[in-house]
Amino acid sequence: MSDATLLQVRDLRTHFFTRAGVVRAVEGVSFSLQRGEILGLVGESGSGKSVTGFSLIGLVDPPGRIVSGSIRFDGQELVGLKQPEMRRLRGKRIAMVFQDPAATLNPVLTIGQQMALAVRAHGTTSEAAARDLAVRTLTRVGIPDAAARLDAYPHEFSGGMRQRVAIATALLHGPDLIIADEPTTALDVSIQAQILAEMQKLAKETGTALVWISHDLATVSSLADRLLVMYAGRIVESGRVGQVLRDPRHHYTRGLLDSLPATALPGEKLNQIPGTTPSLLSLPPGCPFAPRCPRADAVCATDPPDVVVADRLFRCHHPLGLAA
Amino acid sequence: MPPLSMARYWGGMLGFIIQRLLQSVGVMLAMSALVFIGVYAIGNPIDVLIAPDATQDIRAEVIRRYGLDLPLWQQYFAFLGRLLTGDFGRSLVFDIPVLELVMQRLPATLELALAAVLIGAFIGIPLGIYAGYRPHAVSSRAIMAVSVLGFSVPTFWVGLLLILTFAVNLGWLPAGDRGPTVEVFGIGWSFLTLEGLSYLALPALNLSLFKLAMMIRLARAGTREIMLTDTVKFARAAGLSELTILRRHVLRLISIPLVTVFGLEFASTLAFAVVTETIFSWPGVGKLIIDSITSLDRPVMVAYLVLVAFFFVVINLIVDLSYALLDPRLRRGRAA
Repeated sequence: MSDATLLQVRDLRTHFFTRAGVVRAVEGVSFSLQRGEILGLVGESGSGKSVTGFSLIGLVDPPGRIVSGSIRFDGQELVGLKQPEMRRLRGKRIAMVFQDPAATLNPVLTIGQQMALAVRAHGTTSEAAARDLAVRTLTRVGIPDAAARLDAYPHEFSGGMRQRVAIATALLHGPDLIIADEPTTALDVSIQAQILAEMQKLAKETGTALVWISHDLATVSSLADRLLVMYAGRIVESGRVGQVLRDPRHHYTRGLLDSLPATALPGEKLNQIPGTTPSLLSLPPGCPFAPRCPRADAVCATDPPDVVVADRLFRCHHPLGLAA
Repeated sequence: MPPLSMARYWGGMLGFIIQRLLQSVGVMLAMSALVFIGVYAIGNPIDVLIAPDATQDIRAEVIRRYGLDLPLWQQYFAFLGRLLTGDFGRSLVFDIPVLELVMQRLPATLELALAAVLIGAFIGIPLGIYAGYRPHAVSSRAIMAVSVLGFSVPTFWVGLLLILTFAVNLGWLPAGDRGPTVEVFGIGWSFLTLEGLSYLALPALNLSLFKLAMMIRLARAGTREIMLTDTVKFARAAGLSELTILRRHVLRLISIPLVTVFGLEFASTLAFAVVTETIFSWPGVGKLIIDSITSLDRPVMVAYLVLVAFFFVVINLIVDLSYALLDPRLRRGRAA
C-alpha cells in the first residue's frame, strides 16, 4: 500500500440478519482509493452500493453488520474499530453527504446551530470560532452572504442551497474522504450540474477523495476518475471511467449504458435490462446476473472469476470485447 | 433562538396572538352561558339554604337577596357583568365572596398539579427517550411495563397503596392534609419548605403516575421514529456523540406532542384532581367543587367551571404559542 493510497477495502461482507433470512447486501467487495481520487460507485437500487458506503463510515444500521473483510483507512483498520474511536474519525476524517437534504438537516435548528454541533463534535471550540468556521465553509461551497444565512432554518433555503449546507457540514474539518450517497438525486437537473462542478472543484482544491454513489451512470461519468459497477452486492466491473464507458466488459454495464437516453436515437425506444434485480435472500449460485443476461449459458451457473487486466477488473465468463 | 429570527418571530406572532385572544373570549362567553344555564337547571338551592320551618316572608327575602326571583337571562347578564369586574358573587353556603373562597384553595391545587406534571415530564421523558433509543433492551421493557401499569391501575387504589406503604407501614411521609405553608404574595405554598414538600410528595406522586406513563409512551414513540431518520444518520456521520444527538436533535424534534400533552394534562389535573385530593384530604379546588355540588352552592359551581374553562383556554394558548417557538416551519404560516 503506497503513501498515495487512502483507502483499501478487501473482501468486505456486510450482511443483514432479518427474520426472513440473511441478506448479503455486500458480498466480497474489494477496491482501493487514492488520495484526492473520485470514485463512482454505480448500481441499481439494492445493488449494495449504499450499504458499502455506510460500511466505510461505520454506520450500518442493525440488523446489519460487517461480517468479514477489511477496510484500511490511511493505515488504520476500521473493521472492528470501537464506536468511540470510529466516532472520532466520522466528520473529522471521513464525512458523508446524503441524498435528500430536506431529510438530513434538522428542521427545528438553524443551520448555524447544526454546523456548530458538527464543529464541536471534534473538540471544544468557542461559539464564535465555530460560527466563523461555519461561515467560511458555507462561503466556500457558494452560499452568498453566509454570515446572515447562519441564523436561517433549513426550510428557508432552496433544495440546492440545502445540499450545499450539507456539503459544507461535511467539509468543516477538511476530511480526507467524503462518501456522497446520491447527493444530487433529489435536486433539479440544472442544480445537479452546479453541485457536481462544485464538488469536483472542492475535491481537487482540498485533495479530498470522493466516493460518489449513484444509480445514474451519466452523472457519475462526468465527475469520477474511476468507476465501480456493483450488482447484487458484488463488484462486476471496475476501471477508469473512459475505458468502462467506451469499452465495457460486463454485460450488465453494457445494459446500463444502453439504457441511457443519450445513447438512443430520438424517437427510438430506450433499451432496458430485462427482469429485475434479484432478491439477495435467495441468490442462486453462479453469476447473479445470469438470469437477465443475453449471453448466459450453462457455465454461468458457476461463480465467474475476477479477471484483472491492467487496471481493470470484471467478473464474467463471457466478457465483451474479448471475443475469442 | 438567534436574535434575528427572534425579532421576526415576535413580529409575526402578534397577529396570531390577537386572533387567538379573540377566539378565547368567544370560548369563554359560550362556556359561561352553558355553565350558568346548566347549573341553574339543577335543583333549587333555597331548599338547602333555608330551614324547612322558615316563614314565607323569610323565604321571599332570601330569594330576593340572592337575585333568584329575576328571569334567567337577567341573572345571567348580572352574573356576566359582575364577572367582568372580578366579582364571582358570594357563596351561598360559606357566605363569603366566591373568588376569595376559590383563591384560598387554588394554590394548593396549582402546586399539586404542577408538581405532578413536572414529575411526569422530568422522569417520563428521559425514560421514554431511553426506551425509544434502545427498544429491545431489558431495561426498556421494564420501563414500558411501568408505563402500562401507570395507565391501567386506578388512581385511587394507587393512592391508598401509597398511604399504606409510605405513611402507615414505613411512616416516612404524612398520609394526608397539606401541613404548614409559607406565605408568598399573600398566598400559602407548600413546596417552599422541606416539611411542606413531605406533605406534597405522596399526592403529587399519585397524580403523576398517569402522566409519567403518558410521557414515556409519547417520548418513546417519537424517539423510535426520529432515530430512523436521515437527520440522525447525518448527525452521526458528522461525528456527534449519541448523547448529543438525543439531547440536541431528538428531544427538539419530539417536543411538540410532549408540550401538547403536558399542557392538556396540567389543565385537566388543575380541574379534576378530585379523587387524589379526596384521598389525601388535600384542601384544593377539587374538594371544593364536590362539596359545592352536594350543597348546590351555585355561585361556587359556576365560578369554578368558568375558571376551569379559563385555565384550558390560557394553557392551550401557551401551548399553541410554544409550537411556533419549537418549530420554525409553523411561524410563517401561523402568523400570516
